[in-house]
Amino acid sequence: MSTTQMMKGILDGCILAIIKNKEVYGYELAEKLGEYGFSNFSEGTIYPLLLRMQKEKLVTSILKKSTAGPKRKYYRLTENGDQALKDFIRRWESLQTNVNHVLAQETKNERKIKNDV
Amino acid sequence: MYENITLSKKSKQFLENLRVYLFSTGKKEKEIDEIVEELEDHLMQAEQNGKSIEHIIGQSPKYYMELLASEMPIDVKAWMKYIPMILFGAFSFTIVQDLFEGTLAYSLLEIFGFLIISVLFLASISLAFRYIAGKNLSSRKQFVILYPVALLPLALFFGLIFLNKQVTTPLINFGLIGTIIIGIVTVIFIIGISIWSKTWVLPIVLAFVTLPDYLLGFTSLTESTRLITGTCFTFGGIMIYFWVSSKVAKD
Repeated sequence: MSTTQMMKGILDGCILAIIKNKEVYGYELAEKLGEYGFSNFSEGTIYPLLLRMQKEKLVTSILKKSTAGPKRKYYRLTENGDQALKDFIRRWESLQTNVNHVLAQETKNERKIKNDV
Repeated sequence: MYENITLSKKSKQFLENLRVYLFSTGKKEKEIDEIVEELEDHLMQAEQNGKSIEHIIGQSPKYYMELLASEMPIDVKAWMKYIPMILFGAFSFTIVQDLFEGTLAYSLLEIFGFLIISVLFLASISLAFRYIAGKNLSSRKQFVILYPVALLPLALFFGLIFLNKQVTTPLINFGLIGTIIIGIVTVIFIIGISIWSKTWVLPIVLAFVTLPDYLLGFTSLTESTRLITGTCFTFGGIMIYFWVSSKVAKD
């Protein structure tokens, strides 16, 4: 599986988490993801994701005036979005635990085998 | 909008292409405006911070456009408005051409055939749109579904023309008054459409299709010469019209 494949579902969850705490507009969201270390994806990727989340009613958008320039679209989490974020966190935590177990156990076994040899 | 800050040529080009692409795939105008504005804003800030357009949209603009398009619904309502227009537009072509030949007369088969094909077309296209709207398909899959539906009436019309030559059904003559009424209604309809759609493409193409043949009929040229010159005038005229109107649109 390529990183981009794996990223898709994870990005969804991270976007929801960022929007939950503060209404953001597109560029702000991309910047935040970049600051968190998601640097090797193209920023525009967030827009198809945001379009889908709006269609699935996980987020809504409102237009707000910005100090310089045009009105900006700010995204806000809906109740469905909040639920989806909770589900994501639950799935992520169990996935993370499983992966950690696998890696910890298997590397231990690997060492054991090497030592036996 | 930002008047003092300008976008790079490459970004401007991309936004322009995106707008055309989304429009040609039948998306809602309001949603197209929204996403284009959002990306314009994003690109402007990104460029101010020294990021390249590739950093925003990736290596393939086309792929990115498809990605956006696949998340936007088709504007079914607008299309449902256009389709009867296209249908009546086709009728008006037939009627205007026949008007030059004298009073109107159609066989029963032709009249019912036209009506049945219209109903079939409307039903099949609305079914197809409903199927597509609920399915979240890629543009390519949408095309694969819509293409045969769009071709269906064309095939049926050819079938009808062929059948009409084979089978004789009672001929309905509209007489002089009937012809005049139909003619007036058709002209009002054509003018109405042109005002509504803000383009005179229908009457202009119609004029180029019908007038050369009609006017050449008054000359003393041989039939084959008339046919060739008429065709040249028709296609040449339409091509010049599209060329001029695209020039005007660019300026």
